[in-house]
Amino acid sequence: MIKSVVSIITKQKAFLAVVVMFIIMLFFPTNFYTQYNLLDMLNSASILMIIAFGVTFTLIGGACDLSVGGNMVLAGIIVVKLLEHLPIWASILIAVALGGIIGLVNGYLSVYHKTEPFIITLGMGTLLTGIAQQITDAHPVPCRNMAFMRIANSQILNVVPTLVVIMLAVLLFTYWLLRFTQFGRNLYAVGGDYEVAKYSGINVRRTKAIAFVLSGIFAALGGILLASKLNTGASTYGDTTALEVNCGVVVGGTSFAGGIGGIPQSAIGMLVFAVLENAMNMLNIDAYVQMLFKGIVIVAIIWLDCYTRKRKREAV
Amino acid sequence: MNMNLTMKAQSSLKKKFLGFIKEYMILVAIVILALVTAIAEPRFLSLENMTNIMRQFGPLIMVSLGMTFVIIGGFIDLSVTGIVSLVAVVTLSLIEPLGQIPALLIGLALGAICGLLTSTIIISCGALTQAEALFITFGMSTVYGAIALIYTGGETNHLSWVTRDTSLFKAIGQGNVGFISVSFLIFLVVLAILWVFQNKTYMGRAISLTGGNKTAAWLTGININRCIRTIYVICGFMTALGAIVLFSRVTTASPVLGKGYETNAILSVVVGGTSLAGGKGSVLRTVLGVLLVTLLSNCLNMLEVSAYMQVVLRGAILIAAIWLDSTRHR
Repeated sequence: MIKSVVSIITKQKAFLAVVVMFIIMLFFPTNFYTQYNLLDMLNSASILMIIAFGVTFTLIGGACDLSVGGNMVLAGIIVVKLLEHLPIWASILIAVALGGIIGLVNGYLSVYHKTEPFIITLGMGTLLTGIAQQITDAHPVPCRNMAFMRIANSQILNVVPTLVVIMLAVLLFTYWLLRFTQFGRNLYAVGGDYEVAKYSGINVRRTKAIAFVLSGIFAALGGILLASKLNTGASTYGDTTALEVNCGVVVGGTSFAGGIGGIPQSAIGMLVFAVLENAMNMLNIDAYVQMLFKGIVIVAIIWLDCYTRKRKREAV
Repeated sequence: MNMNLTMKAQSSLKKKFLGFIKEYMILVAIVILALVTAIAEPRFLSLENMTNIMRQFGPLIMVSLGMTFVIIGGFIDLSVTGIVSLVAVVTLSLIEPLGQIPALLIGLALGAICGLLTSTIIISCGALTQAEALFITFGMSTVYGAIALIYTGGETNHLSWVTRDTSLFKAIGQGNVGFISVSFLIFLVVLAILWVFQNKTYMGRAISLTGGNKTAAWLTGININRCIRTIYVICGFMTALGAIVLFSRVTTASPVLGKGYETNAILSVVVGGTSLAGGKGSVLRTVLGVLLVTLLSNCLNMLEVSAYMQVVLRGAILIAAIWLDSTRHR
């Protein structure tokens, strides 16, 4: 009984971390436990969560995507620039399609040419950030379209932020895609053992490439929502986004070895950082100290993850 | 008969030549780049510009040389960003109370200690893959960077504000011996040492073996943990050296000085031809890689291409280099 409880806890480290933070906040007289704050916390985490859901596909497929930062800022800038000439739906569609194409290029290079995905996507991220800076001259581009701004800055029924609703919709969709479709099951097989999946007749290359396309699409969607939320497109936000998102997904329990993990885990992984940041803001902790804590949390959780795998390896 | 033999020799020579070109594609790229720029902008070949290139070369080559060992060992180190910032701000702040030589030594030691700390974390949790190391070192980079920010309160320090003697750092940053910059001389010395270490010592070969196949290395009786510790300490130390060369050159030390160094260092190592799969590579290849990256930025500056376009090109070159690498090994 105790053993099984312990094993459940060690499996859900990220969830445990969230619970611990919630308990700690009970002892401090702050506005943490207000409806407004909790919703705001979810609201500000939503964009990164949407990107994380996309990245989860690549990680489950046994790769990773470090180009999401560049993809995100580029999509934001493109949509803001397009809005001056096109209706909202067309601009969003074009920006999302562009994200998908970038994902396709990532997938083509890393799957069909067997290159190391993380370095290819790192290069792609650099390239995209460069393009974003080039077309904006590294200045933020203001958006004058009020309807576009309202997408991410409104509430449904005057309570729930639209962004959270969009995030939940993406969560459900991606969860369905991974759990209840052939593609999802194939992806787990490909990530678990590439060769076995290949010999079982799965089109391994296509499955893995689709994972990259999905990652690109959701990164672009995140970028569009960010541009809507801030009402600007800027090339300076995406510097560490890619690593943070990938880290968040791994922290949630999706293994970088591939084949293990899922969308809810990624949501919890990203929630760790959101709750941590919010709690530290509530406690008036200095921004630099916050950064230190964030780094320590990343190292600690990944350390635990590797350590449990090492124990398992040695037990065999 | 005789003619046949000469023809054979000729064809094998041709094969060798083609093989050489294929193997050292980067050398060809460097020559073409230099030629094109020299024709478009004759100022490129001036002695002044050559010294300038040597100076720009300094910081990145130090970090990249350290990174080479990490990549040959089959790992990756993103923490160089944090280490560059941390070492730069700490060293500069210590010149005033301690004097320049102790500050320099403490700075170098700090880099090595950071590397030791990172490797201890990696070894203690038994991380064996590049991906695991990637995320751990990213976390460590955040930690080191945060410490640098906390240490300075986010402010940038200037070398010229120091009232004590800073001749050593001035020499590293601006000094020349003949037309060769001091930082370049440091690089030559370090390169010689690292080359001997990589090719002529037990540890150097053990690192290559570990990178090639960890299980095989372990079965041969190599102490893998010692290899991991060594590569990260070397990387930390070299990064500290790079940080000192960098802030001596720009004469300021900001707590975010190291931004972008991890990508550039990995880029240079990979473009040079060291395989990301581990086990294969050389410090000399990295020199070529850094040379290409430095020359590229110098050439593009000469041709007045915007700084942002240079970022685009750097990303494109990284992708192309890896692509070529993958076609070569197939």
